[in-house]
Amino acid sequence: MDEAPVMIPGDPTKTSTALLEKTTAAIQGFGPINKIHEHLCAFHFYADDMTRQVEAHHFCSHQNEEFRQCLIYDRPDKNGRLIGVEYMVSEELFLTLPDSEKPFWHSHEYEVKSGVLFMPSVPGPIQRQDMDKICKTYGKTIHFWQVDRGDELPLGLPQVMMALTRDGQLHDHLAKDVERRYNMSYAAERDNREYMKGPVHGIHPLANAAGKGLKTVLREVDCCDVGCGHGSGAARVFV
Amino acid sequence: MASSDSVAGAMPPGDGSVPPGKSMTVGQTIIDSTAHIVQSLNPIKNMKKHVCTFAIYSHDMRRQIQVHHYASRLSQDFLQCTVYDSDESDARLIGVEYIISQRVFDTLQPEEQKLWHSHGYEVTRGLWVNPGVPEMIQKPELKNIAQTYGKFWCTWQVDRGDQLPMGAPALMVSPQGVNQGMVKEDMIRARDEKYKISCEELAKSREGIVVPETTNPFSDYWMTTQKGFAVDVLPTEMKTTTALP
Repeated sequence: MDEAPVMIPGDPTKTSTALLEKTTAAIQGFGPINKIHEHLCAFHFYADDMTRQVEAHHFCSHQNEEFRQCLIYDRPDKNGRLIGVEYMVSEELFLTLPDSEKPFWHSHEYEVKSGVLFMPSVPGPIQRQDMDKICKTYGKTIHFWQVDRGDELPLGLPQVMMALTRDGQLHDHLAKDVERRYNMSYAAERDNREYMKGPVHGIHPLANAAGKGLKTVLREVDCCDVGCGHGSGAARVFV
Repeated sequence: MASSDSVAGAMPPGDGSVPPGKSMTVGQTIIDSTAHIVQSLNPIKNMKKHVCTFAIYSHDMRRQIQVHHYASRLSQDFLQCTVYDSDESDARLIGVEYIISQRVFDTLQPEEQKLWHSHGYEVTRGLWVNPGVPEMIQKPELKNIAQTYGKFWCTWQVDRGDQLPMGAPALMVSPQGVNQGMVKEDMIRARDEKYKISCEELAKSREGIVVPETTNPFSDYWMTTQKGFAVDVLPTEMKTTTALP
């Protein structure tokens, strides 16, 4: 996936723009960004269509021991497209969520134990310490850019995404592509992770959209309280 | 099942921290440090710009928030931004905004354009700032941004007290010079105070900046219709390859 060129609309960045941005980057602070410490590779599928699967590169920071927030890119290089976000919570935090919220969240047990979720370049023994924790967590993933259907721009509505939960879901060609590029074997890592355990209370029945699909729909609403609009055609003013 | 304009369900009060949770263990810190050293994190290194501005919920324009964008440029016509609720290291990731040039915007279908907002007003009014960067250096970039359009999805409604990112994603719109698009004065003052800047002075120095000439009928949809958009997440049949879960 990271060998094919990425089609981004527009002209290549001008040298003057790039230089300006390099200057500003040197001056400014990047507090929240500097906290991003790890890269995880996994797959997501659309909550209304398991057959549409996307390689997802997570760049995560911890807010605390029980909560991570991740940026999702379609590839891990500087041209990676920011396609979504994922939040990860401990089992304890997940159980405090209202029941209406739980279906948005997916379990990580299968992804971790199967080896499909991994940390590129991080030595096995260290990686497995993190994987053992992630195994018990739940994630909420929203994608904004449907790159798998060829969109060159982030069109349409946000999509709730789900994660793999059993053998036979992941498309073989996607799996082999990752294994080849990272020179690794899911099966070998699965063996290494056999000892890991999922959530203490078992995967919650409402997680993973309670086994159903989820779709997003747009609805028009009155956006302003009384006194905002003055009928149709409010004048547009540019100051 | 859930909507961006409906109140999220209740959670235990906890100790008030957002998000709740135990403090980082030493073990986790070591894992993170190791990962940080050996992994390249290239997409993150491509973030070259911090922007502070304001955004408004499309489904309820009484709710305005200060936002911090960390932007990476993929082409002369396209920026992608991760959006946080502050510039501190413990800032919450609250969404994503994409920014495109006028000419790319013009290629979009009308139904898509309705989800995008213009940036001309917030730049010329002095709301959009790059903290720490002298105005003179920012100028060329500001002229560029003033002609762009943004699409901003919010995934964590921290301002209404959500301890965790709950519910459906919400569409956001940009400040404008009319009605509910005007940012509250006390919010601007608090922001200016923090960065030792003055919105009024910035607006004056940006007087020459040109905004799009033609009024697009679909962007900033609320301005002509007084309508915003909410997002509903509904149960549906899932196309599957195996049973789930």
